[in-house]
Amino acid sequence: MIKLLKYLKKYIFQAISAPALKVLEVCFELIVPLVVASIIDVGIKNSNTSYVLKMCGILAVLAVVGLGCTLIAQFFAAKTAVGFCADIRAALFKHISSLSYSSLDNLGASTLITRLTSDLNQVQTGVNLTLRLLLRSPFVVFGAMIMAFIVDSKAALVFVITIPLLAVIIFAVMLVSIPLYRSVQAALDKVVLKTGENLQGVRVIRAFCKENDEIAEFEEKNKLLNAMQIRVGKIAALLNPATIIIINIAISILIYKGALRVNIGELSAGEVVALYNYMSQILIELIKLANLIINVTKSVASGNRIQSVFEIEPEQNRGKIKTVDFSKPAVEFKNVSFSYNGEGENAIENINLKIGSGENVGIIGPTGSGKSTIVNLIPGFYNITSGEIKIFGENIENLDLDFLRSIIGIVPQKAVLFKGSIRDNMKISAPNISDEEIYTALKMAQAYEIVKGKEGELDFIIEQDGRNLSGGQKQRLCIARALVRKPKILILDDSSSALDFATDAALRKALSEISADTTVITISQRASAIRNCDNIFVLDEGVLLASGKDNELKDSCELYLEIRKTQFGEEGA
Amino acid sequence: MAKMEKSVIKRVIKTVMPYKVLVLFSLVLTVLSVGLTLYIPVLAGRAIDSIKGFKDVDFESLYKCLIMISVCAVLAGVLQWIISVINNKIAYKTVRSLRNQAFAHLNKLPLSFIDSHPYGDILSRITADAEQFTDGLILGFSQFFNGIVTILITLVFMVMINPLISLVVVLLTPISLFIAKFIASRTHGFFKAQSDIRGEQTAYINEKIQNSKTVKAFSYEAESVKDFENINDKLRKVSVKAIFFSSLTNPSTRFVNNLIYAAVGLAGAFAVISNPDYLSVGGFVSFLAYANQYTKPFNEISGVLTELQNALVCAGRIFDLLDTEPVSSDEDLKELKNANGNVEINNVSFSYDKTKKLLQNLNLQVKSGQKIAIVGPTGCGKTTLINLLMRFYDVDSGSIKVEDFDIREITRKSLRESYGMVLQETWLKDATVKENIAYGNENATDEEIIAAAKAAHAHKFIKRLPNGYDTHISNSSGKLSVGERQLLCIARAMLSNPSMLILDEATSSIDTHTEQKVQSAFRRLMQNKTSFVVAHRLSTILDADLILVMKDGNIIEQGTHKELLKKGGFYTTLYNSQFAV
Repeated sequence: MIKLLKYLKKYIFQAISAPALKVLEVCFELIVPLVVASIIDVGIKNSNTSYVLKMCGILAVLAVVGLGCTLIAQFFAAKTAVGFCADIRAALFKHISSLSYSSLDNLGASTLITRLTSDLNQVQTGVNLTLRLLLRSPFVVFGAMIMAFIVDSKAALVFVITIPLLAVIIFAVMLVSIPLYRSVQAALDKVVLKTGENLQGVRVIRAFCKENDEIAEFEEKNKLLNAMQIRVGKIAALLNPATIIIINIAISILIYKGALRVNIGELSAGEVVALYNYMSQILIELIKLANLIINVTKSVASGNRIQSVFEIEPEQNRGKIKTVDFSKPAVEFKNVSFSYNGEGENAIENINLKIGSGENVGIIGPTGSGKSTIVNLIPGFYNITSGEIKIFGENIENLDLDFLRSIIGIVPQKAVLFKGSIRDNMKISAPNISDEEIYTALKMAQAYEIVKGKEGELDFIIEQDGRNLSGGQKQRLCIARALVRKPKILILDDSSSALDFATDAALRKALSEISADTTVITISQRASAIRNCDNIFVLDEGVLLASGKDNELKDSCELYLEIRKTQFGEEGA
Repeated sequence: MAKMEKSVIKRVIKTVMPYKVLVLFSLVLTVLSVGLTLYIPVLAGRAIDSIKGFKDVDFESLYKCLIMISVCAVLAGVLQWIISVINNKIAYKTVRSLRNQAFAHLNKLPLSFIDSHPYGDILSRITADAEQFTDGLILGFSQFFNGIVTILITLVFMVMINPLISLVVVLLTPISLFIAKFIASRTHGFFKAQSDIRGEQTAYINEKIQNSKTVKAFSYEAESVKDFENINDKLRKVSVKAIFFSSLTNPSTRFVNNLIYAAVGLAGAFAVISNPDYLSVGGFVSFLAYANQYTKPFNEISGVLTELQNALVCAGRIFDLLDTEPVSSDEDLKELKNANGNVEINNVSFSYDKTKKLLQNLNLQVKSGQKIAIVGPTGCGKTTLINLLMRFYDVDSGSIKVEDFDIREITRKSLRESYGMVLQETWLKDATVKENIAYGNENATDEEIIAAAKAAHAHKFIKRLPNGYDTHISNSSGKLSVGERQLLCIARAMLSNPSMLILDEATSSIDTHTEQKVQSAFRRLMQNKTSFVVAHRLSTILDADLILVMKDGNIIEQGTHKELLKKGGFYTTLYNSQFAV
């Protein structure tokens, strides 16, 4: 949480003025008991009605000035809290955008989303309340103590004992409950996850008739959350009663001491009233504070969750090179090994391969053989465990990541489009593209018909998750999106699985006519998709088994032959 | 609106009813605790009255009062803690049972509801709305009720001390309520705008964070941050207004209260001056304390009211979900036992959107042990047919029979248990690999699980995972590729050992080589059992007993592979296209 406070800098004036004005308001409030004391000691004692009238007038004026201060303070507080959190939210979003693939794998989207939304809202509430009230309370407390000393220093000693005692209790409760609130939040996360999972898997759950088990599991998680909430509630609920008990006992002692001092003539009755009033003010303020602290505690827990995301190292951009010789080999792997989180077996093992500039290559192999891993390594999405990758002759570690990715067009396995027009989606890949160029890419991707059939063509709005498009349509638009940036390396990661064979064949034909300086890497499950490639790499269990042209592999690589057979039948061999 | 609120309030009360003993207990304790707390100023006043001046202190009565103050404070404190614990318990347990109900209900809702509502919306009802409702309940129980009791008891005490000055307080207090209401009505618009923009922002966050890999692949980070900041700035502007204006309530009412305090001071002081027997200085002091106490709850209540309103809206959203018609009950229906795989589709018509026709007058006879393949272009109705076979959706007209039972006349559970299903979208639970494979057959031994994984050709890659079969996987984790996930789904279906099998593009992301091995395992598994296979890849269906070629909701061709090829129709075109380059 503490590290987040740097975002407060911009609002330092408001952040200081708001509590300062609040303090001013408190000062006016603290004068009230003195005024009341003088009403009793001077006005009532001497039956001076004009004095009473004057003093009550002062009370009214204090109320007006207090209001003025508060209003300005509230405005500053709102501005600071909202601004502070808006800045954190923007920074957090930016930070998440900069995280590496492995960090994103480890975190998962759902927790990042809660941190950007509900956790930040909690922090905003906390900051707002803190600025408005949290400083006010201690100030009232200490102010009341100082005023008590002004009234009578000996009787005021009661304050000196009471206040630290209360402070200790408040901090103890906070200290115990902050970690508990964190575990409540974690338990809530699990309930959210379970619900989301149930919604996504509804068909499978029902097909297996597992509804009751799922419900039982949910109830288990819900019960855990419930138990946590009740436990932390019990501790948080200690604050208020403890305050009431301690303050009232202190009041008893205070009145007793006051009585002794009045008895020997060192204090007036009105002054005892003033002391009593100060203690009461502390009571009221501390009860407010206790409620506030519960809120602030939650905010701190949320703030820590946010900070923990900030603490994850963003993707390192180690390289600076932004120009390469495009005639050099596009991709070269030298003894490359890689495992996803540094544990478990390597996803790929000691891979050596070379893809020449402008070549059209295919990567094939059974599921889990490491094809997608290789694709993820070329744009530097993950750092390799050992070995060396060269892109157009440069070590990938020396290349600027933005530059590296700008020369690669990738079509991922999962066809993801964003909410917005088709044109906007294309511009994600190439911001300055003309409509004409978009249409050219669409035609090549066999997506021209899709766009022609939609109302408004390029202005057709794709819904969230591309819900208003079929799987095949999404895939083709994703291919077009990769094409519009005119990449030097085009990677198709099994990106035609939802296309029927006729469309797939047309697509392949179109891609074979792509400009000569584009290197095309096709990953496919289908032998037909890659058999005309200049070079084919056959992978199995993370190891490069063989490479060569279709007719070479047919005779030399048993696995390749088998894959071919399964697809084309015996006659294909 | 008001009417809806009323029915929601009624329902909330009904939901809390199981805890009525606790509620009653809490109320009684609240009255006691508030009474004790409020009695303290009276005692303090008396104590002060016993301090008259120099050498004129009535120590005996002073002691009595002071001891009473301490005792009352301790009692009140203990009571307050008990009340908080009880209130927490009521609120949390109510919401817990509401959540359980909502989740259980969710599992009974028709798929048409779930398919047509955004996940996020249903999710937030069960999670965020329920949270908000809990907060509202606790606030309602503690502050709202406490406030009302405080006002009433204070009023009693004040009247007991001096009825006339009490009148001043009673007459002036409603002013602060009017002000609070005035401000609340003005801020409503800002709050509405705030939650609208917040919704827009959440949607943006959802989309971009869930697909952050795609964003990175296109180096689109900077652009998406810029878009995000635009929405963020809009939110910032409206939030400042909403928060500022809503925070005006408290200072404004406090201002009114301070004025009341001054008025009471004036009236009280005059009363003491004119007749000290009518009002003592101690009484005056207690009175001022009460004036403070009395107005404070009004302040709190006005603040709590907005929260409560919000909580009611949230409760209403949960109730709406609970009120959604579940699928019809099938408790009285027969169980489908020992299905052999005879399926009959008679004249079935169906469409999701009743204005657009989809399946029309479909007829099909499937005998036990047959392999039925369904092919055709995207959107032709293949997946729909499966939705109907599994009774995820009910037919609009016609009937589907299994073993001569209309599937609407047998329980859904017994129908679905007789099918094994593998879908194109690969859903896995947030659990270990082992638990996922054993999902349809909890009693499976480790050996059986490994055997199923081997049959599905998943064993090899599972072994490569960090913890093998005990590796924890979740639906969004990137540890597995789509193909690997499909293999796990297949292992899961194999282990459940169904009497009929549905494969909807089940192997679309698996390479043809592995696919063929998996197919042969399926073939062994499906000996003498019926299977329905939807596939783009025609190589997987060459041996089907019957191939249905669907287009625009109709079966346009049917027969075996050889028969269809001979025909030279749509199927032949499809088949040949896979060899074309």
